Amino acid sequence: MGAREVRLRIAHLFPELLNLYGDTGNVLVLRKRLEWRGIACDVREVHVGERPSFSDVDIVFIGGGSDREQRVVCEYLLEERKELVSYVGDGGVLLAVCGGYQLLGHSYLMGDEEVQGLSLVDLYTDRGSPRLIGNVVVQSRISPQPIVGYENHGGRTHLGDGVEPLGSVVHGFGNDGLSGYEGCLYRNVVGTYVHGPLLPKNPGVADWLIARALERRYGDDAVGRLLVPLDDAEELEANRVMRERLT
Amino acid sequence: MSVRSLIATNLGRLTHWALHDVLHRSGSQLPGRVALGIDPGFLSHVRAKVAHGLVVVCGTNGKTTTTNLVAATLEERGDVVLCNRDGANMAAGVASALLPLRRADWAVLEADELSTIYILPHLRPTYLVLLNLFRDQLDRAGEIDHVQDVIASALEQSPETTLLVCGDDPLSMGVAERARERGTRVLAFGVSEDLGLPTDRVPEARFCQRCGAELDYAYRTYAQLGAFRCPTCGFGRPTLDYAARGVTVDREGVSFALVKKRGRAERRVRADFGGVYMVYNLLAAATVSECAGVDAACLQRALDAYDPHNGRLQTFVVDGREVVLNLAKNPTGLNQNISLLLADTRPKAVCVLINDNYNDGRDVSWLWDVDFERLATDAQVVRVLAGGSRAHDLQVRLKYAGIPARCVEGVADALSSVQDLPAGQPLYMLTNYSALEPARCELEKAGGPHGRT
Repeated sequence: MGAREVRLRIAHLFPELLNLYGDTGNVLVLRKRLEWRGIACDVREVHVGERPSFSDVDIVFIGGGSDREQRVVCEYLLEERKELVSYVGDGGVLLAVCGGYQLLGHSYLMGDEEVQGLSLVDLYTDRGSPRLIGNVVVQSRISPQPIVGYENHGGRTHLGDGVEPLGSVVHGFGNDGLSGYEGCLYRNVVGTYVHGPLLPKNPGVADWLIARALERRYGDDAVGRLLVPLDDAEELEANRVMRERLT
Repeated sequence: MSVRSLIATNLGRLTHWALHDVLHRSGSQLPGRVALGIDPGFLSHVRAKVAHGLVVVCGTNGKTTTTNLVAATLEERGDVVLCNRDGANMAAGVASALLPLRRADWAVLEADELSTIYILPHLRPTYLVLLNLFRDQLDRAGEIDHVQDVIASALEQSPETTLLVCGDDPLSMGVAERARERGTRVLAFGVSEDLGLPTDRVPEARFCQRCGAELDYAYRTYAQLGAFRCPTCGFGRPTLDYAARGVTVDREGVSFALVKKRGRAERRVRADFGGVYMVYNLLAAATVSECAGVDAACLQRALDAYDPHNGRLQTFVVDGREVVLNLAKNPTGLNQNISLLLADTRPKAVCVLINDNYNDGRDVSWLWDVDFERLATDAQVVRVLAGGSRAHDLQVRLKYAGIPARCVEGVADALSSVQDLPAGQPLYMLTNYSALEPARCELEKAGGPHGRT
């Protein structure tokens, strides 16, 4: 047995600004699922004005905020773009929800004004009417169960050629209400409109993110060694109940 | 009154009679809808029959309680008051409440925040009370900025209305600032001392809405309410026109002295129920009473007689066990309820019922903004139950807070799930909007209301 302590670091970007839909729940789920497996976990909150380094970070989380808050964040993050690009290029794990998802792309619309995004993933977002609101079910290859959650977005997100969606919409609207796809999956980046929050009722997605982070930090065999199965009876029951209600 | 509004009134009343006396159904919405359908200007016409003044109460939490208290206070003076006591608070509900009687002294009306734009421009009330703004029902109400815009526009179209605002709330003050710039007269109420209470997580408004800097607080009372000030642009709590001083919040209830600007301490106000949020409801009611020239003794008499019968902090006794029912429909409401039940030092069980019907908001992600972790660390919380149409979401949330909770089908199941606990251990039942009335009816049948002593 190696004496080395196993530890993952989560960077939660701008928790005080991007927290519209219970987003801290995603970070709580990641932390608990690491701790339940005996893996140490640091959560580092990154606030506006700080200059974050992502070199020792294993999972980055970006939530959604109101337009006003999202703009503050975006202007600031553009200055840190290089850091994020190399993090993603290096296989860094990143989960971005709602507004955070829109920030990943080349641009999005705020009112009628086009705002430059981070261009981490080849996608862009324009606006449509009405807002796409409601429960959503998505079939995705990264989750053994269909993903269930809630969506509420005016934006319509369009993926570039060759960008894989997170999954196919079984119920609800997804990226643009037309393509039948929801979210994006690029390297170890997951972007999605699904909140609720995303991870509690979709433990498969949480464990996929944790698995990618473990592989990157501790090698390919780390998942088999460290990602021990948990009793997810409550999570899976909550997932099943919503799926049965909706489909 | 025009012929059209006369017809609207009579057909509205007829609808009420048909619903209420013939069909035995609630007449809180449809009669008003009929009246507004016949006479779109019904609210502007009907206001003439109210002799002394109209009060509209809005804000995320506390509307129904504050509205009922103000109405009861005016009635203690002997005034004739029209009021939507049951909380039907959209334009149709307000119109329904204004149908009865040929004349009244006052109208006291609860209004949904987003409905103010349909109500204020026509009703042009004497006072609008803005209690607070919290994150609530994001799928329906949208972001808080939008709610603020709507209330500010409503005020702009009702220039004779005085805004009575909670000066401690940066989000309500955001509305007040805008309204003041457009000519609205604003009076602020608030708590003028540090209560020294543990404060909950702030989901909202840590940053100045004017310039984006982080707000400084001399103290916070709960959620984002307190003595706030922006260090950069100076946006902050105004000088309070009506302040609560000498505040007590404990197991026996709440009390404070109302102090007018440049005035001496007035008579104390005391209620034997509620936590710190109730101080604000009472303070708002006391402020309206002052403005309406009602003697403070009337408010106290109304408080002493206050027995809501509407599930807001209502106590029942079922098989010898005290069951406390209360509404908790957003993170702030639930956090306040958690503070309240933790202040009860007896061992206790807690049951939370969360539905996701349209009027609850279908999005339950807000459960993750509630500090359920506080229940996990308190040894006196002996059992936690999760119910409602989103019981399983709640159970997962509680699991990650470190609480193994059992799912229950409903009130009856919850009651039998605590039967093995000693009868001296109360059951706190917290529900969101649509779960409240069914729970109240079931508890009433199962046991009986418990007179406060």
